[in-house]
Amino acid sequence: MLETLGNLGAGFSVALSPPILFYAFVGCVIGTLVGVLPGVGPLAGISLLLPATFGLDATRAIVMLAGIYYGAMYGGSTTSILMRIPGEAASVMTCIDGYAMARKGRAGAALAIAAVGSYVAGTGSIVGLMALAPPLATFALRFGPPEYTALYVLGLLVLAYMSSGSMVKSLAMAALGLLLGMVGIDQMTGYFRYAYGVVELGDGLGVVPVAVGLFGVAEILASAGQPAPPEVIKPRMRELLPTRQEWRESGWPIARGTVLGFLIGILPGSAHIIASFVSYAVEKRWSRHPEQFGHGAVAGVAGPESANNSATSGAMVPMLALGVPSGPIPAVMLAAIMVHGVAPGPLLIQQQPQLFWGFIASMYVGNVMLLILNLPLVGLFVNILRVPYPYLYPAILIFATLGVYAVNNSVVDVWIMLVTGLLGWLLRKLDFETAPVVLGVVLAPLLELSLRQSLAMSDGHYGIFVQRPIAATLLAAGAALVLLNLYSFVRRGLDWRAKLALAEKGEAQ
Amino acid sequence: MRQGVVTLFTLLALVTPLAAMAQEAYPSRPITLVAPFPPGGVADLTARPVAAAMEKVLRNPVGVVNKTGAAGAVGMQYVAASKPDGYTLLLALSSISIIPEADKVFDRPPAFTVDQFAPIALISADPTILVVPADKPWKTAKDFIEDARKRPGQISYSSSGIYGTLHMAMELLSHAAGIRLRHIPTPGAGPALTAILGGHVDALASGPAVVLPHLKSGKLRALAGWGDKRVAALPDVPTFKELGYPDAEFYIWAGVFAPKGTPEPVLAKLRETLRVAVGEPEFKGAMDKLETPIVFKQGEEFQKFFDADARRLAAGVRKVGRVEDKK
Amino acid sequence: MTTDRVAGIGLALFALIILEESWRLRLPLGTMAMPGPAYVPALLAGALVVSGVLIAAQGARAPRLGAVGWGEWRHAVAILAVCAFIALGLERLGYRLTMSLACAFLLVGIERKSLVTALVVAASIAVGTHYLFDTLLRVQLPRGAFGL
Repeated sequence: MLETLGNLGAGFSVALSPPILFYAFVGCVIGTLVGVLPGVGPLAGISLLLPATFGLDATRAIVMLAGIYYGAMYGGSTTSILMRIPGEAASVMTCIDGYAMARKGRAGAALAIAAVGSYVAGTGSIVGLMALAPPLATFALRFGPPEYTALYVLGLLVLAYMSSGSMVKSLAMAALGLLLGMVGIDQMTGYFRYAYGVVELGDGLGVVPVAVGLFGVAEILASAGQPAPPEVIKPRMRELLPTRQEWRESGWPIARGTVLGFLIGILPGSAHIIASFVSYAVEKRWSRHPEQFGHGAVAGVAGPESANNSATSGAMVPMLALGVPSGPIPAVMLAAIMVHGVAPGPLLIQQQPQLFWGFIASMYVGNVMLLILNLPLVGLFVNILRVPYPYLYPAILIFATLGVYAVNNSVVDVWIMLVTGLLGWLLRKLDFETAPVVLGVVLAPLLELSLRQSLAMSDGHYGIFVQRPIAATLLAAGAALVLLNLYSFVRRGLDWRAKLALAEKGEAQ
Repeated sequence: MRQGVVTLFTLLALVTPLAAMAQEAYPSRPITLVAPFPPGGVADLTARPVAAAMEKVLRNPVGVVNKTGAAGAVGMQYVAASKPDGYTLLLALSSISIIPEADKVFDRPPAFTVDQFAPIALISADPTILVVPADKPWKTAKDFIEDARKRPGQISYSSSGIYGTLHMAMELLSHAAGIRLRHIPTPGAGPALTAILGGHVDALASGPAVVLPHLKSGKLRALAGWGDKRVAALPDVPTFKELGYPDAEFYIWAGVFAPKGTPEPVLAKLRETLRVAVGEPEFKGAMDKLETPIVFKQGEEFQKFFDADARRLAAGVRKVGRVEDKK
Repeated sequence: MTTDRVAGIGLALFALIILEESWRLRLPLGTMAMPGPAYVPALLAGALVVSGVLIAAQGARAPRLGAVGWGEWRHAVAILAVCAFIALGLERLGYRLTMSLACAFLLVGIERKSLVTALVVAASIAVGTHYLFDTLLRVQLPRGAFGL
């Protein structure tokens, strides 16, 4: 422990040196800007700026890239709350209650809580990263295909908890999302599925165009033609800050989101998206007022925004401790340090203590910077709501298209956004929730691949899912969840039958 | 409103053919080097220093654009279909000869064919090496192959995806040694490495640079390489050729291509540019840090290497065939 | 017809089309032990058919389709047409030109703003976002035939 503190002290002396401080600041500013652009999330942000870091030394490069990474995670909530366009895929859940809060005139509060939640989550998860990196990373590697299959199944069951309306409708939406996620090259056999000669569809429907279409474009389609356009909101200064009540309601969700996000974030894969979904579901289940969710519940912003931020630090655990590219973003960051001749690997912490501890310390500093940077921006951003809707929505549309296009430089993504926008509008009119569709699109390729990989590993025996302890535990948890639900369902059903019987008896009398 | 829509689209139709522009001295505007894989991958990390060195030699901007998707097919198709004027170039990896073959296996119209490209120069070629977790009993490639013979289809390996480079390397070995292994495809080289480090598979064919740190830390053990010669960083690891499997030869290589039909003077200029560019000390330094050996070939020599490699890979893809047909 | 009936039938039909397409594209189904490329899609499509039918069956009490209010459809179609224009124009006309035209059209053609205001607003949005993201942040945006 003392040694850790000593190392951290040395790290801070690196992180607080003016050049490092400068690059961390530049990273944070760029990250925030890139994160505000819908669609262009942390991955696109750091990919675009990777070449610019080739001229720097390894520590400066990684500090700047990390700044962009968590800066973009902070910025992602802005457009979600103000325009209902997910700033990046992990902000989908923020769209729902964040935008509802904005329409009630609480945009400032939502943005401030998102920023503070992100700060707490960012800082808290670095403590976790510092203290637990090596053992956790080894644990994370034990997640092979069977464990992932179990985890994703659990994720889908959580979805059942998320639904507020009819269960059948949510299931239908999940099935629709999963089906849409089937488009593209089948990873196991190389077949092109439902791509009809469009090579760009080989990687499937991107989460970003689908999410922006289903949320952002659908919102524009539904609102623009209303006889009375959405009213202009003139935020007043004292309304910018969250009330005492709102702070109280977001305290525990932030704490839970931080822990949850960190744990899910460690697992290699697209974990931060899933982390925000799970956090939303947990908060809704935990809340004393689940009926407020979807209509501007503070916890629905605080939880997921904290979760997706602490997942970013979680994702760095396997990367730093073992040199394993645990996802697309850590892979780019590993490339960045490789370019500088630093070999990422299990020996990184011993061989490059200055880089590792400097990096950790700069993450603390960067989070403080982001909070200082973002809170005043809240006052600036909410003014967007003063723009009358007829002027606002063309700008939003252009902004959304720009973001969607920029992710892959692909016009096909713009078409996907158009079609899912139409779909989202229709589904909304017909009273369906679209969040399960997005979760389906995220999970489908992961779930299918890991299921089939597991079966390839076991030569077709399903026993592999119960023989491995982690997978078995996860599946047992899922089964318990289902049984619990079934139990309450049956009891309610019995109640209802009992009442009916009583009523019949009454009639008979 | 309807009129407005019509006007917009008419404008669009009118303007499309205007794209043709007059020819000028080459190069007179920025050149785009397309990397068909995401940033941070081998293609991207090679493309960046190549572009920087070319820029210096040509005194003309050379930008890298990542056109990613469908295991590289999107970017390759994009370059194959772009105007052959020397302003759109491709930095391709070995997979350029695999994708059209895989399309053939499935009887689908190919996204592009190899003869849509004019090879300019080979930049690097790195043989793959066979690694296993250090806690596995196999100490040498011989142990591994003998055990695989005894237990056909029981030893598993991860790859960067079906028909991906890492899959093809293993397939060539399996065929050369007459063994059958169990294939677990993953979505990329990163996940393939994660799978073996987590102990979920028994073997992996990988580029040397990626696994070197894990060999040093003692987590993995290298058994043999697919190269013509031993890898400089691993002098004790034999090649399959030495072990008597000359057909197990495979390289992850990177080369620069132009679309077919690019005028010969432009191609000549590009060849000359690249020849000077790979000699630049900055370029050498950049490739050194990636631990990727520069192997420069151009003209006839590159064409020969490319053809031989394409033949090997085509045969490999055909042997794999459609996976479920073989069950 | 109620909303749920229409939606349920629509979803079930979509799932049936997927099933038909999987068969037409000859995607192998595989077995339970070794699922092929069509296995999971077929399972999901089956689930969607079932839930679609259930939604339709229980949908008698949902609001009638006409009661939802489709007043904004003209706007919606126009906006989608503008999106299509952007998709077609982006790489041909370049980012700035396409976006200026699209935005100006939305403002003049749909929102009935004056031509001058619309052009000024449209051009400044297009050029401003281009400057911020392309020039400053190096997000590459297409230039098109005119270099705009």
